[in-house]
Amino acid sequence: MNSMNKKIFNEIKAIFKNIEFTDIDERKYSVIIPKEKAVSFLETLKRKGFSHMSLITCIDWIAEKEFEIVYTLFNWETGTTLMVKTRVDRDNPILPTVMEIWPTAKYYERDIHEFFGVKFEGNPDLRPLILEKWEEIPPMRKDFDSAKYSKEHFPDRAYDVDFLLEGSESNE
Amino acid sequence: MTKQQSAWEKVANMLRARSLWMLYYCTGCGAIELPPTMTSRFDMERFGIGPMATPRQADILLITGYLSTKTLRRVVYTYEQMQAPKYIVGFGSCTLNGGIYYDSYATINKLDLYIPVDLYLAGCMPRPEAIVTGFKKLMEKIDKGEADGWKRYQENYEWYKKNQLDALGEVYIHDEFHE
Ligand code: SF4
Repeated sequence: MNSMNKKIFNEIKAIFKNIEFTDIDERKYSVIIPKEKAVSFLETLKRKGFSHMSLITCIDWIAEKEFEIVYTLFNWETGTTLMVKTRVDRDNPILPTVMEIWPTAKYYERDIHEFFGVKFEGNPDLRPLILEKWEEIPPMRKDFDSAKYSKEHFPDRAYDVDFLLEGSESNE
Repeated sequence: MTKQQSAWEKVANMLRARSLWMLYYCTGCGAIELPPTMTSRFDMERFGIGPMATPRQADILLITGYLSTKTLRRVVYTYEQMQAPKYIVGFGSCTLNGGIYYDSYATINKLDLYIPVDLYLAGCMPRPEAIVTGFKKLMEKIDKGEADGWKRYQENYEWYKKNQLDALGEVYIHDEFHE
């Protein structure tokens, strides 16, 4: 960890107790934060140099009944990437929006709302962004059965199976 | 099954087969095979095939790869804007049977359910040689009057529309950025 990062991280640790920055790679770190503190934590990071929010993504930890939201931040002065992770209950996934900090978050939040069903409180526009006429549960949730949906909506080609060799996989 | 053609149709088909303007709807990976097919190495222009920018002037519609339902709407729109006679070429296994996206929630598995495909080029991805061979085959079919997808579309319009609606819900395009 270079001195510049160390300095920033120590300053942040002084404000937020019990925070651990994990090394992933040279110039790449991650940190876990409870969702209640996420917004103020991100705001602090922005002021400390992580001004660029590259991406917000979501991971479905279905066994743990949680969604993990990952904010990927970038610091242009030190060239450091920082992934801020926070978890939210899978049955009631509500998080505050970070639009006030990064206006572009609007579209990432819409995207996550559409594909995972996570609600972002304060985001005024959570209309579907990409899917059209979608009536099932959000498709990126792990309990969504993509193959079954495909079978029901998009018929497969029926093949003449005469030419298949004996013993090879048969085609229903 | 060669149908009886009138003398005029024979001449028209011969001419049609020799001047093809193609509109390429580059939906998937397949599009990357078009530059070498068009440029000096294979140079499809010597077969009388040239690129065209708008649907209303084009004869062939190339569907170069997987089609998401969202894109399918646009393809149906595009196809319906083209003037008959018009021909569709499906590139790659994704248009044939879904390819590696066969179980995706967003991509269709069988293009000819929704629009009439005249020729399929199998492979993931077909090479430029295969594309050139495919085009030659298409020209032959047009010449013989066998590439009649546009007629089938008119005759079985209800069937095609029903399939489109089954997959898409409705064909109308909602686009918040242009509404
Ligand atoms: S058939 Fe293969 S190359 Fe073509 S669109 Fe599908 S995955 Fe891509």
